[in-house]
Amino acid sequence: MNLKPKILIVDDKPENLKALRKVLKDLDIVLVEAISGNDALKATLRNDFVLALLDIQMPGMDGYELAGILREEEKTAHLPFIFISAVYTDNLNVFKGYENGAFSFITKPFQPEVLINKVKFFVDKHQQDVALFELNEELKNANKELDAFTYSVSHDLRAPLRSINGYAQMLDEDYGPKLDIEGKRIIKTICDNAINMGMLIDELLGFSQLGRKEVQLRKINMNELVESVFIDMDKSFTHKAEIKIGKLHEVEADFGLLRQVMFNLISNALKYSSKKEQPIIEVFSEEKNGDIVFSLKDNGAGFDMKYYDKLFGVFQRLHKQKEFEGVGVGLAIVERIISKHGGKVWAEGKVNEGAQFNFSLTIN
Amino acid sequence: MNIEVEILLVEDSMNDAELTIRALKKNNLANKLIHLEDGQEALDFIFAEGNYSERKIENIPKVILLDLKMPKINGIQVLQKIKSDERTKTIPVIVLTSSKEDPDIQECYRLGVNSYVVKPVQFDKFLDAVSQLGLYWMLINQQPK
Repeated sequence: MNLKPKILIVDDKPENLKALRKVLKDLDIVLVEAISGNDALKATLRNDFVLALLDIQMPGMDGYELAGILREEEKTAHLPFIFISAVYTDNLNVFKGYENGAFSFITKPFQPEVLINKVKFFVDKHQQDVALFELNEELKNANKELDAFTYSVSHDLRAPLRSINGYAQMLDEDYGPKLDIEGKRIIKTICDNAINMGMLIDELLGFSQLGRKEVQLRKINMNELVESVFIDMDKSFTHKAEIKIGKLHEVEADFGLLRQVMFNLISNALKYSSKKEQPIIEVFSEEKNGDIVFSLKDNGAGFDMKYYDKLFGVFQRLHKQKEFEGVGVGLAIVERIISKHGGKVWAEGKVNEGAQFNFSLTIN
Repeated sequence: MNIEVEILLVEDSMNDAELTIRALKKNNLANKLIHLEDGQEALDFIFAEGNYSERKIENIPKVILLDLKMPKINGIQVLQKIKSDERTKTIPVIVLTSSKEDPDIQECYRLGVNSYVVKPVQFDKFLDAVSQLGLYWMLINQQPK
């Protein structure tokens, strides 16, 4: 994409075209001339322009009419214009489709620098857009590669793990009677770690898959969703917790993904409050600045705000395995899903007093 | 060469094969098992060609356990051959795979796989999975005569 940007100049008078060419001669651009509206339309079929300079007073099709037609064509719908006119107008609504793209006016006679600056502005903007687009494409590709890499790593790592765990178990089955307590403890440690690594891999795989999943929006009754999550929860966790669910706002979101968010947040709340005498879990929502904010509050182990930046990271944990089991992917998944929806996730916590996790979704 | 084969295990990983056979043995299902280590050998065996040309193709195995990831001829290709030949397409084929996210699973179903099993990391779960599928396909499932 290192082609020089092309600019269309339209004027019925050849001397005006010549003058424009002269003014713009030092810019690193290609000028394509047209001496009528029809001529200009033909030129747009053959070229991709980044800007058009249009004379307004032309016989037949005038500059505004031409602009209106260009706005209707898909290829030129967002082409920016600079109108060159002998009469000044501050009426923006002078041509059809004006709202679809940028445009500017310049009145004759004009200072060459003014025109040069205007043209530079649009050319720079175009180049920034192109650079941004390319960067975005690169980023998309890098993400895709990363997903593919994560997938194959996760997939191929399982095979040796299966062997480690399987053979350790075989050792225990076949030679267990010959081993003392310490020997058995060592085998168990091998198996436990293999299983744990298997879980890590599964979580990682699930996380990498999220990147590929398309968000499918539909209207969701959040009260039903949250209740269904509680029904699916491990009863050993829920039986003693006091659960308060407010009247929750409806949202448009991907049902499966949002259920995953709620599942992760609720199971966290239950897990980290399970050691309290009387765990209390609250779920509520409110409207704030055009967003709906959902919150989950518990009175559990909480966390130290000092480590807040680690909270949503992959494989990051703020609690010891012995205290609370887990691999550290749940909140990273929550974060990824909500940001895929264009929302935000944040939290507040205090050690031994509890935590509150919030996420926002835009109303429409 | 005309011994009756009940289970044909096609698996290039010796370790996974050993685990699978052990699980089947626990359920007395491994008496008439043959283990082949690559796709080409499996096709030769199933279609009684090459080293197995003495075999009668009519002596079809009761079930084939097929690993997907194998060098040279992979599980998908073996599956495709089995399912597109009138003589072999009724043999139940169970695909063994490392993860349930395997993109090949869709392809397996398209080709007519009878079942697929994710090889779990946990040994006891692996035993369960293999035993259940062994019991089902060997004892419960009625094949067309």
